[in-house]
Amino acid sequence: MRPTCTISTERTRRHFLQQSGIGLGAAALATMTANRGEADDAASPLALRHHFAPRAKSIIYLFMHGGPSQIDLFDHKPKLAEWHGQELPASVRGTQRLTGMTSGQSTLPVTASKFRFARHGASGARISELLPQLSTVADDLCIVNSVTTEAINHDPAVTYLQTGHQLPGRPSFGAWLSYGLGRENEDLPAFIVLLSRGSAARPADPLYARLWGTEFLPSQHQGVQFRSDGEPVLFLRNPPGLETDSRRRMLDALGTLNRERQLLTGDPEIAARIEQYETAFRMQSAVPELTDLSSEPEHIFDLYGADARRPGSFAANCLLARRLVERGTRFVQLYHRGWDQHYDLPSDLKLQCGDVDRACAALVQDLKRRGLLDETLIVWGGEFGRTVYCQGKLTAETYGRDHHGRCFSMWLAGGGIRPGQTFGETDDHSFNVARDPVHVHDLNATLLHCLGLVHTRLTFRFQGRDYRLTDVHGEVVTGLLA
Amino acid sequence: MGFGCAVLGLLAIVGVDDFGRDVRPILAENCFHCHGPDATKRQAGLRLDVRESATRVLESGKIALVPGKPAASELVRRIEAHGDEAMPPKESLKRLTADQKQTLIRWIAAGAEYRPHWAFVAPTRPVAPTVSDPARARSPLDRFVLTKLEESRLRPSPEADRVTLLRRVTLDLTGLPPTPEEVDAFVGDSAPDAFERAVDRLLASPRYGEHMARDWLDLARYSDTHGYFTDHERFMWRWRDWVIDACNRNLPFDQFTIEQLAGDLLPDATLDQRIATGFNRNHMITEETGVIPEEYRTEYVADRVRTTASVWMGLTAGCAQCHDHKYDPLTQREFFQLFAYFNNLPEAGIAGGKQKNAAPELRLPSREQSAAQDELTRRLGEVERELAGYSLPSEPSDLAASAQRTVLESRRTKLREDEKQLLATFATTMVMQELPQPRDTFILMRGQYDQPGDKVGPGVPSFLSPLPTGTEPNRLALARWLVDPRHPLTARVAANRIWRQLFGHGIVATVEDFGLQGEFPSHPELLDWLAVEFAEQSREESRETRARAESASPTASSGSRLSSLNSRLAWDTKRLQRLIVTSATYRHASGITPESLRVDPRNRLLGRAPRYRLDAEAIRDAALFSSGLLAERIGGPSVKPYQPADLWKAVVYDTKNTQSYEPSRGEGLYRRSMYTYWKRQVPPPSMSQLDAPTREVCVLRRQRTNTPLQALVLMNDPQFVEAARALAERMATSSRDDQSRLTNGFRWATSRTPSDSERDTLMRLFAAERSRFRERTRSVDSLLAVGESSVATGLDRAELAAWTVVANVLLNLDEAISRE
Repeated sequence: MRPTCTISTERTRRHFLQQSGIGLGAAALATMTANRGEADDAASPLALRHHFAPRAKSIIYLFMHGGPSQIDLFDHKPKLAEWHGQELPASVRGTQRLTGMTSGQSTLPVTASKFRFARHGASGARISELLPQLSTVADDLCIVNSVTTEAINHDPAVTYLQTGHQLPGRPSFGAWLSYGLGRENEDLPAFIVLLSRGSAARPADPLYARLWGTEFLPSQHQGVQFRSDGEPVLFLRNPPGLETDSRRRMLDALGTLNRERQLLTGDPEIAARIEQYETAFRMQSAVPELTDLSSEPEHIFDLYGADARRPGSFAANCLLARRLVERGTRFVQLYHRGWDQHYDLPSDLKLQCGDVDRACAALVQDLKRRGLLDETLIVWGGEFGRTVYCQGKLTAETYGRDHHGRCFSMWLAGGGIRPGQTFGETDDHSFNVARDPVHVHDLNATLLHCLGLVHTRLTFRFQGRDYRLTDVHGEVVTGLLA
Repeated sequence: MGFGCAVLGLLAIVGVDDFGRDVRPILAENCFHCHGPDATKRQAGLRLDVRESATRVLESGKIALVPGKPAASELVRRIEAHGDEAMPPKESLKRLTADQKQTLIRWIAAGAEYRPHWAFVAPTRPVAPTVSDPARARSPLDRFVLTKLEESRLRPSPEADRVTLLRRVTLDLTGLPPTPEEVDAFVGDSAPDAFERAVDRLLASPRYGEHMARDWLDLARYSDTHGYFTDHERFMWRWRDWVIDACNRNLPFDQFTIEQLAGDLLPDATLDQRIATGFNRNHMITEETGVIPEEYRTEYVADRVRTTASVWMGLTAGCAQCHDHKYDPLTQREFFQLFAYFNNLPEAGIAGGKQKNAAPELRLPSREQSAAQDELTRRLGEVERELAGYSLPSEPSDLAASAQRTVLESRRTKLREDEKQLLATFATTMVMQELPQPRDTFILMRGQYDQPGDKVGPGVPSFLSPLPTGTEPNRLALARWLVDPRHPLTARVAANRIWRQLFGHGIVATVEDFGLQGEFPSHPELLDWLAVEFAEQSREESRETRARAESASPTASSGSRLSSLNSRLAWDTKRLQRLIVTSATYRHASGITPESLRVDPRNRLLGRAPRYRLDAEAIRDAALFSSGLLAERIGGPSVKPYQPADLWKAVVYDTKNTQSYEPSRGEGLYRRSMYTYWKRQVPPPSMSQLDAPTREVCVLRRQRTNTPLQALVLMNDPQFVEAARALAERMATSSRDDQSRLTNGFRWATSRTPSDSERDTLMRLFAAERSRFRERTRSVDSLLAVGESSVATGLDRAELAAWTVVANVLLNLDEAISRE
């Protein structure tokens, strides 16, 4: 911030706060405005609010970590059966670079899917037999078969999709949303992360805290990881032996002393700190109430499946996600690990699909019944797809597929998305996008659009530059919108 | 609108437009993106960052700037235009306010004079201004601050009380609070130089080096793991310990710079000087099997350029990796000229396998290991010599000789195997090293590793000072160029960083950006004065003095340098810090009045001392220190304080060695937080909650937020609960009288004595908790069992539990976690 005379606009006020970074804390501002109604502004002092009327209030992002095979799930390629075992034509491969795992392989044999596809719903969406439950809600889905990324390995590809940049150093999607829209529920964080581990035999690829980090955005926007065992939020519980009445007395004494200090020092940041301690106290009861699934009726567990009773399962996380958006959480980020089928794809992919199929369908139905699907955007997909050619030895029983970024499939459902369509096409090898490519930046621009945000205007000044989730790219894909 | 008034207040001081402060920022923000240094994106052939181009006739026949004639200037017509002709264009999302337009028009009317960007012109020592009340100034530094305050009619705060002052300076210089004994000694010391002597004591404390090094770890992106994908373990703590030692022995900042950037290239480089080069190996390294190594190797080199430019020059060089910089006159070619300096390591793009560190690395045997190696070498030599005796042709029938030969050969094999095994146990640290033949460096189109353009050699940006002549074009020359007194940025950036450590924010608030988009300094002359004061080398200083300072042992040199503080060595960090903390400005009270909050909410004029929350590490360290748990020992491998094991397990790759978190036992739980094991994939959660960066990239400025999750950490993290219990024990054993116990605890946490009302509040809490715990012995047992340290016997356990709750309040007090 430079001392120019142009301080009146909202944008400049924001910059003023951004640039200050320190000194006058965000919360201090809230204190100065001394208006309870603006408390949300304290959690997200730089809240831009919506740029236009949003279609969705929240996102539930079901991230299938590892890269699920589009060829075996959504992108049906009947001609592959004919070409099965033949070398991938150079004309199809073009100049695509391969990962270090198959670039040295002497042959790249085309590998047809072992799984049958059928048309589902009025829309006739083609879905693999591995996802029977999801197929029943086909008309609520928008399947995108033409997502594309330049990344060919996990770390850069996941980081790209979740932060808009292949290398670490940029804020995550949820952090941008929290920064842009703030909190709806004062007693819960705006951005929550739920992790689950797939059933595949292969070791699951790692995740990184940066995927829910804030980097240069104020760190109160970082995703809060809910844990499946022990306390749901780290340090949420009082220490053993210290019960709620003691905590209350402790907080009262702390508040009294802090208020005395504030009178003496005149520092508004202290008032903000007192408020944070009170919020923490409320969180101590709000979060356990939220994560306690025992109040859910039997039919809900029938819907999500028995797995939903097992804390930390994907199904339990889906149910938790619904409870979170009900309570106004902006961004629920699920990660289900284990989709990296370099080998033994038929058996491992089946296991992975078994983990998620019923719960995904249940989530769509559950939200729909509650009238929440219209205001909740569900995103399902991984960081890339998989190659049409086999990694390792192609046998009658099994095959594996390497990473493939040129084209892959995701599905979207709910707020702002046109349901009952399959969007985009790939060539007959599912190697290149043939029609309507949706680049990572386009996807993110579109998701923000559904939340009522213009991706070019959701910016933060850092190192002299206005950064955004979509870097300097991205177009809203209107074909995906309702 | 409190903010508006505040800034208008600042402006009122200023009066006339200053090109660098008032005009260029408008042009940079709104125009340079299309009419700036980046030639490839330039529109209409118009360049507005250079006067010569801006006043030239354009292809269209128009002239953007006609000096003295706003009405004839196309720029003015366009900023006033509507619709398609409007500038900046609608789609840029930029908008000029009426005031900004007026500023530009005034500037053109006055002749449209350009001045070079302040930070790119070497500083000269400004004369400290005269002030109306010279008694308020303790040093020339204060006169710069007082002048600004006078201009804005703000009265400086009085001096802080002595307890606050000692606590402040102790926290700022050592990262730990003072002990009550130190406070008493200082309060009772009526000598006029009492504060200066306290400062000298703190600067000589080994805790000083730890605290200063901790700050350096953020910008050096120091970590105990590689960071990408599998996030395998690495060992760089020898480099971290080098930094602590360098700070403690007050290694002059120019040497500190040279050794970290190019210590390996110094003539007869010592082991320590080579360890120092680990600075630029702290970047992340991938081990993901599928990667194309050259893609990542390129990224490592680019990271070195970005980090070096950011740390020493406050330049956002990364913006020029893919294209010319949009705001600063740094071309893409110049980015890759800098790249060429860091491109010559014998490194692979991918690490992994059994090796934990990635080559090039140094082997660092312990004394015992060295002795074992010497012994093995000696014995191998013996065997070799004996074997040589058999190398003469001998009779095939000489069976005895043949048998003896076989014995010796197998002994040799065994010894070689032992040596190999021994070498594998040596500690290693990653370092910089040059290839015998430098790699070719190319401009990479769009920054892409696989799109080489023109070949370039090493070189420095042309808008900065020239390279010293007659030097080898290598990293050593680059490092020496950075600390050359003619360099406009290095001393300012360093002085600003040191200022930030002591005031919470820099004179240039954007400590990481001194370019055109950076914030204008609040006190430009003061910054230049400090920079010159810091970097200026007095003529008397001989090379000999310098050499002695470099080689001297930590204790000896810190003492000797301190004693010669007045002899003005160049780049003397402790001297600069002493200069700042002994100023009147630093000693101001931090109380905020409604008046000062209104006129200067960000406290940019420094009318009062800043008051802010301590950094994550300092908060934990202070809790351990107040409670008597802190285990003070400098250096060594990183340690693992309390943390649930499943935090790592939930995200890591199954087969890697950092799969589950196993907390240290004993001492490792209570070391200073700078020694906490740093896993980039899952940074220590209580540190992250309190705004510690991830250490994935260079960070020069931490955020300072205030969140409910921080409250949960400080109330419930076992580390803080255990500290509360230990503090309670300390209180309970310190006196037989409850009031005194409370006072002692209060002093350990805040350094001061509680007021009567504070005492009453806490005694009431104590009484309530005591009666509650008397009823519930099981709760007492549970609470007192938190943490590994043992509980003192012979104390009333219900009382101890009650004191623990009180101590939990004390450690959570805003005052206890703040620097006032």
